[in-house]
Amino acid sequence: MHLAYPTVLSVLLFCVGLYGVLARRNAVLVLMSVELMLNAVNLDLVAFDAWLHDTLHAGQALTLFTITVAAAEIGLGLAIVLMVFRARGTADVDRLRDLADDGAAAHTDTMAPPTDNQPARPDGRATAA
Amino acid sequence: MNAMSATLAVLVPLLPFLASAGGLLTGRSAPALARPLAVLPTLASAALAIALAVRLGPGGTLDGGTRLTPTGSVPIELSLHVDGFAALIAVLVGVVACCVQVYSTSYLREDPRYASYAALVSLFTAAMLLVVYSGDLIVLLVGWEVMGICSYFLVGHHWETEDARAASIKAFLVTKLGDVPFLFGLFLLGADAGSFRITDVLHAAADGRLHHPTLIALLLLCGVAGKSAQFPLHTWLPDAMAGPTPVSALIHAATMVAAGIYLVARLLPVFLLSGAALVVLAVMAAVTMVGSAVCALAQDDIKRVLAYSTVGQLGYMAGALAAGNRDAAVFHLITHGAFKALLFLSAGVVIHAAHTNSITAMARMPGLRTKVPDAFWTMTLGLLALAGIPPFSGFFSKESVLTAAEHAATGETHGVPEFAGWLVLVAGLVTALLTAAYATRLWLVAFWPRTAADRAAADPAEETGGAPAREADPHAHAHADAHPAEPAAMRRPLWLLAIPTIALGVTGLRADWLPAWFDGVSLRPSWTTAVLGTCVALLGAAGCWLAWRRAVAGAVQAPAGTAALPDETPADLAIAPGGPALPETELPGLPAPDPAPLLLGPLLAPAARGLGVDRLYDRCVVRPVTAAASLVRFLDREVVEGYVQGAGWLPRALGWLTRRAQNGNPQSYVSALLAGSVLVVLLVAVIAR
Amino acid sequence: MNAVLIALLALPLAGALATLSPRLLDGDRALRFGVAVTGAELALAIALAAGFDYHHAARMQAVTDADWIPAIGVRFHLGTDGVSLPLLVLTALLTFLCALYSLRNLPAGPGRPGPRAFTGLLLLLECGMLATFATLDLLLFFVAFEVVLVPMYFLIARWGGENRGRAAFRFILYTMLGSALMLLGFLLIGLHAGTFDITTLAARHGAGIPHTTQVLAVLSIGLGLAVKAPMFPLHSWLPDAHTAAPTVGSVLLAGVLLKMGTYGFVRILLPAAPDGMAAFAPYLGAFAVAGILYGSLACLALARRGAGGDLKRLIAFSSVGHMGFVLLGIATLSPTGVNGALYANIGHGLITGLLFFLVGAVKDRYGSSDLDRLAGRTGAALYGRAPRLGALLGFGAVASLGLPGLAGFWGELLAMLGSFHPAAGLSRSTFLVFMVLAGLGTVLTAAYLLTVVRRVCMGDPAEPAPALAERGGVLADVRGYEFASWTPLVVLTVLAGLWPAAILGLSNPAVKALLGAG
Repeated sequence: MHLAYPTVLSVLLFCVGLYGVLARRNAVLVLMSVELMLNAVNLDLVAFDAWLHDTLHAGQALTLFTITVAAAEIGLGLAIVLMVFRARGTADVDRLRDLADDGAAAHTDTMAPPTDNQPARPDGRATAA
Repeated sequence: MNAMSATLAVLVPLLPFLASAGGLLTGRSAPALARPLAVLPTLASAALAIALAVRLGPGGTLDGGTRLTPTGSVPIELSLHVDGFAALIAVLVGVVACCVQVYSTSYLREDPRYASYAALVSLFTAAMLLVVYSGDLIVLLVGWEVMGICSYFLVGHHWETEDARAASIKAFLVTKLGDVPFLFGLFLLGADAGSFRITDVLHAAADGRLHHPTLIALLLLCGVAGKSAQFPLHTWLPDAMAGPTPVSALIHAATMVAAGIYLVARLLPVFLLSGAALVVLAVMAAVTMVGSAVCALAQDDIKRVLAYSTVGQLGYMAGALAAGNRDAAVFHLITHGAFKALLFLSAGVVIHAAHTNSITAMARMPGLRTKVPDAFWTMTLGLLALAGIPPFSGFFSKESVLTAAEHAATGETHGVPEFAGWLVLVAGLVTALLTAAYATRLWLVAFWPRTAADRAAADPAEETGGAPAREADPHAHAHADAHPAEPAAMRRPLWLLAIPTIALGVTGLRADWLPAWFDGVSLRPSWTTAVLGTCVALLGAAGCWLAWRRAVAGAVQAPAGTAALPDETPADLAIAPGGPALPETELPGLPAPDPAPLLLGPLLAPAARGLGVDRLYDRCVVRPVTAAASLVRFLDREVVEGYVQGAGWLPRALGWLTRRAQNGNPQSYVSALLAGSVLVVLLVAVIAR
Repeated sequence: MNAVLIALLALPLAGALATLSPRLLDGDRALRFGVAVTGAELALAIALAAGFDYHHAARMQAVTDADWIPAIGVRFHLGTDGVSLPLLVLTALLTFLCALYSLRNLPAGPGRPGPRAFTGLLLLLECGMLATFATLDLLLFFVAFEVVLVPMYFLIARWGGENRGRAAFRFILYTMLGSALMLLGFLLIGLHAGTFDITTLAARHGAGIPHTTQVLAVLSIGLGLAVKAPMFPLHSWLPDAHTAAPTVGSVLLAGVLLKMGTYGFVRILLPAAPDGMAAFAPYLGAFAVAGILYGSLACLALARRGAGGDLKRLIAFSSVGHMGFVLLGIATLSPTGVNGALYANIGHGLITGLLFFLVGAVKDRYGSSDLDRLAGRTGAALYGRAPRLGALLGFGAVASLGLPGLAGFWGELLAMLGSFHPAAGLSRSTFLVFMVLAGLGTVLTAAYLLTVVRRVCMGDPAEPAPALAERGGVLADVRGYEFASWTPLVVLTVLAGLWPAAILGLSNPAVKALLGAG
């Protein structure tokens, strides 16, 4: 068959996966969408490999790699999601914001040297010289 | 021959300089050395100056020098230029400095800071001699300014008192204000002439190579006005009387203030190129002469009278220069140096004996004359010279000034506008009247006390009035013997200075005496001015005497705010008491026998305060500068600081903005990543086209 | 000779490294080690001066020229001529005197590191300062310029007084911003001319660099140097830094670091980008004169009664004024003016170094440098309470106001004389205005300095001094180690004033060469 069919299919799958990654709130669904994107890329690789009649079959070899990496990654990812769900009671991506930088907590003199008559503070916040 | 003279000329300023260095370094560790270190090098320097003058003889000059430093354009030379003017003025400086140093050994006998005082006086002497002998204008400026700083330190000698603190800083700043345009004038002179050497400058003036003579002359006059206390930069001199009296004698009578006159005399060919500058100088001299004489008439402090008198006499010298005759100016400079130093030193003795500066307080002390007879007689001589009574030196020199003015007024002097001559002549005559008046006032009020009880009785009663007062205090009597009111060290300089006061004037009469040292212009007074001058002086003296008699008779009410009762002991005596105070015969309610209110009338109050010049300065100079300083402080704290803080604000704001993107949601990060990738792909696609 | 110059730079670096080992130098040994090394440095500097060929002061001497980074054309090029020799000797002298002073007078206590760190930082600082004056390569100059900042930051931040953290922070950020600009300018020049070598650039006198590039280069390098100089209005880091710094830090900051900025102008900008300098000279002159007047007026405001002015802050502002004279001299682009600028550099280094030593001593004795607390109602009467200290302070003030016969005068005179007759191509009337304003500045300088003397040295000793009473009422006069640290400065001030040819004779031929045939 013509190259167009698998290519278009893979693009469509990729877009669906992209939408899922960007817009879904449930962490599991995000991971599923990542899988979708990876598989879309796999499809593309195989299709091009066949169309280009590659003697080394580089595309198919790379596909095997991708499948393995995806499997490993999804195993770890799901385990993390499971632990988060157990700890927080939710797998909602929008609620997991611990790495955010809220402006209120950052004091203006983070970079300043220790104030007069005080030795350097040992806590992690002070990045003084 | 030349090398010997050059060595002498170098040693004359060098010896006092070394003495001052030695005095400053060893003052604390070896106080016994202070007195020899003060007197001996100055004596040696004076002797060498006399030797040099004798060696050079009238009409002889000494020139020589070496390069001091390259500058990139006009080099500066360390050179000598000694002619008749310089030689004689150096002798004056040396002799007066010697007298002052010897006098100070007694006057400041108990002063704990005598060593530093003497060292500074020596440094001052060295600087003045440098000014006199220097052949390079910048080196002259060095000496000029060093004199200024020595004056600052010496006027501030009694820094425990507020008067001395204020007066010292005022003296320095007013002269410095004049020195800045002076420096610019020197620049102009050096640039036009191509050299800072005085001989080169004078050659350039003669050749007509000076392109801006008026501007140069006016700029130089600013410095001269400051240093020689001419209007409008004269206000520092009366206040500088807060310093010890010997300092006033040396610096503010005979030497530093004469430096400005000396400079104009030295550079007179430059000034003669510009008629406008001469007119300005004449106006300055005239205003100074008359104004200071009026002020002198109203002062109560004996030193302030002498200070204003100095200002006025300097005005005479400036007037002579405005009339184009430097011989008369330097003649008056030398005689004035002698008699004014004499007056100050005798005033010092009188102040010591009376324990007050105020002449109206002295008017209540009978027996002052007999207590300090030498001071009384020398003061009389000095005042006679000051008033210009023949045959004292002051008469001859003042007459030579008036004669010079007369010549200029009648158009006989080439290059001098007649207006300048007339102005100086008229002002000079008016001032002669006023000078005689205030000299007489000083003499009468200070030395001829009248009390209500003695008014009826004749003079013999005064002796009895004085004697019981003395007997009543036997301790005082014994004390007086141990510390006489007039120790020898104070008396001898007085009599030494009295000699030129009496005799120096005569040396101007013959052409081969004093005039041979100068330019050869005759210093003989013309008959018209001689008669006119003497009559005017006698008139002034007579008028004052009449007014004094009326004041003594109690017909005068002293208005409030002027010379009334004496106030605290002057700073001079705060540390070194010399002899017991004379008992006063208190007559409460009786106003001071001061003829000034009668003579001056409504002018008395402003004249006592210097005719308002100080207030003018405060309004025009001090207040704007203080306001500008506050403005700068505000600008620095708010505006400049604001910019710096603003510069810090921008990165902080940007940082805040950037941090907002860190919202913790990986989906937004990935969206940004997607957008960026799409952009890059598009760019690549577009560029690859 | 070049070995001496290399040793001059290598010795403090080695000394600084040696202070890293705690067993070798502990406590007072570190300070004595510092004195020994800086003393050796001074000896080396004097040897360099002795071996200098005075008849060829325009020529680079003690030259070392070796390949360093061939890939970008940077060479390890050292040398000294009549312009940099006095500065090298001054730096070595001031550092030695500071080390001597710190032997007995190092601020100590909680939060302050020990003498070992101090010595190491001082030696590193000395290396940086000397390197700035000795290098003849643009990037090496930049490195040395920056090396100086780090030890000075620590000197202020760790051994300083009140507000030291903020002041040190501001100092280092502000100067680094300037240096960043300067680096851009260096790269611009280096890439256009094809070489980073200062002597080559100087010999070319701007040939081969187009006018716009020169203007841009002067703007960026000039701004960077102007921050260091400091030029109004980029001066506001200086008062805070000086007020907070320890005595030794202030002396070195005022005595040497400020000179690095103006030296950069003379060494780099004047010969390498003459067109650019000519374009900016009037503005430089204007800012210089503004600095003179601004500094003097700020000092007047601080010296007034009731203003609560800090003495160290006052002297910092006076430095702004004095460096204004230096910048004015440079702005005239004439040999006279630049000679005056270089002389004023040395004079200011000696005099202000002395003044900071003295004010530091007063602060130690009284516990505060607030003028109102010191002066009380009538004045601190230092002339009476500690006569030698008072006399030295009076001497310092008189020298600082530019009294002829002392080191401050000739620099100001020549700067004004240069302004009277600036280089051809500059507007004469503008510079005449600058000259008049600078003259006014000298009167204002005299006013505030004598006011300070009046309030600190003069006064009624009978009046009790509250600040003194808190410390036991006794005021010690000049001590032995203080005497040892200060006397060389006093002697040199007088010598330099009486014998200006010592410095001008050196700088004149070099300046003429730097400015080209014109």
